[in-house]
Amino acid sequence: MPAKDRDAYIDPDAEEDDFSAEEHDSVGSGDDFDQGTSSRGGKRGGLAGGKKGAEARLKSKGKGGDGYAWEGSISRTWDQVREDDGGSLELSVQEAIARARRKKLQQSGQAVRRTIIRHLVLMLDLSRSMTDRDLRPSRFDLGLEYARAFISEWFDQNPLGQIGVVGMRNGIGERLGEMSGNPQEVLRSIADRDKLMPAGEPSLQNAVEMARGTMSHLPSHASREIVIIFGSLTTCDPDNIFDTLEGCVKDKIRISIVALAAEMKVCRELCERTNGTFAVAMNEGHFKDVLFELIPPPAQLAAPAGAPGRSGPASSAAELMLMGFPSRLPETSPPSLCACHSTIKSEGFICPRCKVKLCDVPTDCDVCGLMIVSSPHLARSYHHLFPVQGYRPVMSMTQENPAGVPAQLACHGCSLPFPLRTLDSSANGGDAGDAAAADGISPLGRYRCPKCAKDFCSDCDVFVHDALHVCPGCC
Amino acid sequence: MDTSTTKAAREDPPAHLTLIVDLNPLQWELSSQASNDTPLSLSQFLAQLMIFINAHLAARDDNTLAVIGALPGYSVMLYSTDDSPPDDEAPARHQANSFQPFRMVDGRIASRIQEEMEKSTDLDGKTDRGLVGAITKALCHINRVNLLSVALTNNPESTSAMAPPSSQSPRMLILSISPDASTSYIPLMNSIFAAQKLKVKIDVCKIFGSDTVFLQQAAYLTGGSYLVLERRDALLQYLSMCFLPPASLRKVLATPSQDKVDFRAACFCHKKVVDIGCVCSVCLSIFCYPITRTSCSTCGTRFPLQTLKRLGYIRQPAAQANGRSKPNGTANGK
Amino acid sequence: MPAPAAEALPGQHILLSFLATQSQISLTRLYSKPSACLALFRLLNALERQIIMNYLWLEGPVSSNTMDVWVTRDGRAPYEAAMRTLASLQVLPSPKPGSNMLQLSPSFKKNFRLALTGGGDHMSFGVPCEKDLAGGVNVEMLDRYAANCWESILHFMVSSGTDGRASRPTKGILYLLDRSGLMAGQGAPKITSEGFQFLLTSPHAQLWTLLLQYLSITNERNIDMVEVIQFLFMLSTMQLGQEYSTEVFTNTYHSVLEDLIDYGLVYKRNPNRIYPTRLATTLTSGSSATTSSSAVSSQAQTGASLSGNSTVATAGGGFIILETNYRLYAYTENPLQIAIINLFVSLRGRFSNLVTGSITRESVRKALDNGITADQIISYLVTHAHPQMHKNNPLIPITVQDQIRLWEQEKNRVQIAEGYLWKEFTASTDYNLVLEHARSTSSVVWENEQARMFFVTPEGHASCRDFVNQRMREGGGFA
Repeated sequence: MPAKDRDAYIDPDAEEDDFSAEEHDSVGSGDDFDQGTSSRGGKRGGLAGGKKGAEARLKSKGKGGDGYAWEGSISRTWDQVREDDGGSLELSVQEAIARARRKKLQQSGQAVRRTIIRHLVLMLDLSRSMTDRDLRPSRFDLGLEYARAFISEWFDQNPLGQIGVVGMRNGIGERLGEMSGNPQEVLRSIADRDKLMPAGEPSLQNAVEMARGTMSHLPSHASREIVIIFGSLTTCDPDNIFDTLEGCVKDKIRISIVALAAEMKVCRELCERTNGTFAVAMNEGHFKDVLFELIPPPAQLAAPAGAPGRSGPASSAAELMLMGFPSRLPETSPPSLCACHSTIKSEGFICPRCKVKLCDVPTDCDVCGLMIVSSPHLARSYHHLFPVQGYRPVMSMTQENPAGVPAQLACHGCSLPFPLRTLDSSANGGDAGDAAAADGISPLGRYRCPKCAKDFCSDCDVFVHDALHVCPGCC
Repeated sequence: MDTSTTKAAREDPPAHLTLIVDLNPLQWELSSQASNDTPLSLSQFLAQLMIFINAHLAARDDNTLAVIGALPGYSVMLYSTDDSPPDDEAPARHQANSFQPFRMVDGRIASRIQEEMEKSTDLDGKTDRGLVGAITKALCHINRVNLLSVALTNNPESTSAMAPPSSQSPRMLILSISPDASTSYIPLMNSIFAAQKLKVKIDVCKIFGSDTVFLQQAAYLTGGSYLVLERRDALLQYLSMCFLPPASLRKVLATPSQDKVDFRAACFCHKKVVDIGCVCSVCLSIFCYPITRTSCSTCGTRFPLQTLKRLGYIRQPAAQANGRSKPNGTANGK
Repeated sequence: MPAPAAEALPGQHILLSFLATQSQISLTRLYSKPSACLALFRLLNALERQIIMNYLWLEGPVSSNTMDVWVTRDGRAPYEAAMRTLASLQVLPSPKPGSNMLQLSPSFKKNFRLALTGGGDHMSFGVPCEKDLAGGVNVEMLDRYAANCWESILHFMVSSGTDGRASRPTKGILYLLDRSGLMAGQGAPKITSEGFQFLLTSPHAQLWTLLLQYLSITNERNIDMVEVIQFLFMLSTMQLGQEYSTEVFTNTYHSVLEDLIDYGLVYKRNPNRIYPTRLATTLTSGSSATTSSSAVSSQAQTGASLSGNSTVATAGGGFIILETNYRLYAYTENPLQIAIINLFVSLRGRFSNLVTGSITRESVRKALDNGITADQIISYLVTHAHPQMHKNNPLIPITVQDQIRLWEQEKNRVQIAEGYLWKEFTASTDYNLVLEHARSTSSVVWENEQARMFFVTPEGHASCRDFVNQRMREGGGFA
């Protein structure tokens, strides 16, 4: 399997995530990743069939003489750190950070269609292999912690989505939490650590079948996804798992796996056939990175029918959905029973169709089945659909400024003045400027919006694209 | 001798306040007309605003302030504590009658507003996008200031003159006078979510004109207060009672909360406020009901025929009862 | 010995508790200056400030119920405490019996409004002068001047005049130090235990302690105390680096001015013109903004240009690094700071910009003997911790904190009493008999039944001896 394959299976949007950008930047190549995989596989001597790819690569470049991947391509990250005149590392560290940020931003920009209404089953491996302590404090504890963080962040970015939780333990799939759109409810399902203590063998097939059953009734416009945190190197299945896989392909379920041990052929197969992503976590930080890559809504290609392999489940299913926008009752209103929990409460939301009271939105009305969302929930997803165009770094004041237009003295976002120091150094020219230019860093610390032609500082650049999603100049 | 006295005396961190002043000349003109119950002109308003600003600055030496003006079509930073102080004014005897920082800040803001108002006299045809621009700028500024203060605590050797002390409770106060602009809905909502992430409370004081649904949501979603000025002659009292206390004090002294927040959305096709609508699954555009189209006007996706049929069929009797027979026909016919 | 006014409430500025003891007439007079109102406002806590703002723009009195509805359930207690403070300061006097109408003191309301709006003709914010560029007076120079003045006082205290380098302060200061009980003894005053405690407090607190002392002796000197406070408040609202004219000053102001120059609050270069220093301008701003002498000196050393943002200065003010092995590194060459550290650290080495030492049992015992408490040592270490230390949590290593406290308890464990130990009784009856007698004269300090020993005071000893001798003579059964 060629080295680039891994990237090819990542959605275009995944490229903008911390991991890909930073990893590739600081390490210089994707090799480090393979190292982790193979070394881990070697260490465990597991039955990982999918390791072949890694080993093949290892051989091809191991010709340098030293034979082992982990000796062959040490990327000397410390070489990139330079001291400045004052002996401080601050500058080069900041530069490295800035470069990673810039890279990340370069890729976003064009409008993509994404699946907004997502349905996800999160599968946690609760087999004995999760008690392994190679990830601190243990695979189980770390996995649980990250799963919680994942759920919160996922709902933050996909307010209209729903998550169900399934555990794999003692050879069966356990339904830990029903499909729900309420983050609190989902988090509650994995809140109790003692109830989730790992035991026995995992069964991929049983769990996937269970998830498939949960999602079978969903409408066609919704995406169906499975994310598996998998620590085991075996799966204990009652039947042929490839039949299950065929079923998933047919149902257009996308399976993504984050493996904590080593790569397994069957796992990679599951992901590849269903257009999911497969990743092996190298360490604690990397685990989080690869898991969180799965949070942004997957992009759909602009031409829905164009690429059959990639179009995903939602492409053919553009739909009109009937939604209700509730009004919120204040806390001072007279208490009444809610439809969802039958408890007496003052505050709540009123379904506009059947006028029943609901505790929380978004949800499906328990009485009439209408999907109830508040307009902020819809609006929260808009930035995925209308992203801000990436800013271009300004290389020199003389070239890019149209004659007669005075240079902006202060950032258009934060209104703080641009540093004068960098202006001077760029006037002298110099290598630093050229090197920076190649990385998409402006020697002047200015980044210009292509649309409104306003200049921004690097902090605002990152903030606008990461959090604000609105260009202060264009709006 | 009480050693703990001075240390415990300052339990609250310095506060940062970003003021967004709506300077739409047209609306101020309307507001100052004598036909109103209590006319309030821009100059009267500014006089009271200055006192409010002074009160904010008086509370602590290290309270910080940023003032952003929202004008038709653009927004501009009028004053920020980080600004380098202006050239010294000639000392005069009458200056002994006012506190110098107040005089400096007030003078700067007044002259900047004057400048901008003169510039913008010929711009009344423009849309009022200025408010959202101002909010985004304010957020960028708060974000930058936060970053700077983090950098400062990590690197105390730096003697950066423009780094203000870290303020843990940045607030934003929007003094609004213009009505909602439906075009700014998406950027505004994005700003609100960014504010949530930065933990910035957005307070809204509606000085003139009808309720703005969007700003109401902004205040609700960020935990701020939304207040419609009932007696505009008492502006200063409202400002100092409701919008002066920092976040820590609002646990002790309540600030007005909103009774009912309108979460209804405006449809993209007719800008009508709807409580049940159809939403495109691809781009989440909202269309009013019943559907009058076969493809999404925003992203161009064609909707499957059977969905239209289903939705149309359900709604048909009601639609006819309402005297609307056309939508259904269109949906099936095309 | 006049102690600084009444007991300060926790979290309240010491000046406020002092003011609360003053008469209503004095306070009303104090509030006649807008600058005084503003300065007082800044000394209050956030809630008290907000309550003032709520009432400030109301023309007539309001029923207290109207305002009470805004108080949340949790906020009841702090709200009532704040109302009490305001009432004691006569800012928001309590309503007359039988009425619940509240309003701000008219004098305060009028003048605080003036402070916020500007205008009037009260000249209470100082009359600025033309810039005198030739003088070479800038903010940095003023900071150095203030630090020198103030530190020479502290240095004199810590060395008790034995150090030749510490210049002897003026008579006025010596008198003040003596009156406040920080130093004692005629001719060659020695620092007292209060003095040691004083040294470890923040400069802001030190300054106010002395100033309160100054206020309390104004009566003896026939100076109007209200005017002194007004003058201090006026200084606190002046701008650093700006020269002010003294022409409009009253006689009281002029006489106070001379003393304040000694303390380093004011710098005077030209006749009839003064510069307030940072010590003066931060009198009523938050203590965080107060420049500590160390910050000033460190800035003076590095020659960093001051931005006028005093918090930046304090951020760089810490200089002490303390390790878990009790070693202490202080990046300073300031003799005062070294002398203060020397109070509780045994110093090992001295380098050009660094002093090393370690906290030992002996060094802490020495400090405790001087009347310094463990908490004061720890709080001094906290306030002067090097910025690097701020990455630690907790700031000061927990072992060191605990050990210092343990040493303090250890000291309290042993009580010294003079007396005699009675032991080696052959029979318990004898023991009990003598013990009964000693108890009857209530001279027993300690007793142990098992070992048949007890300890009596010297007076008790004599009485017991007589008692035993008498029994022997009477032929009682003593072995």
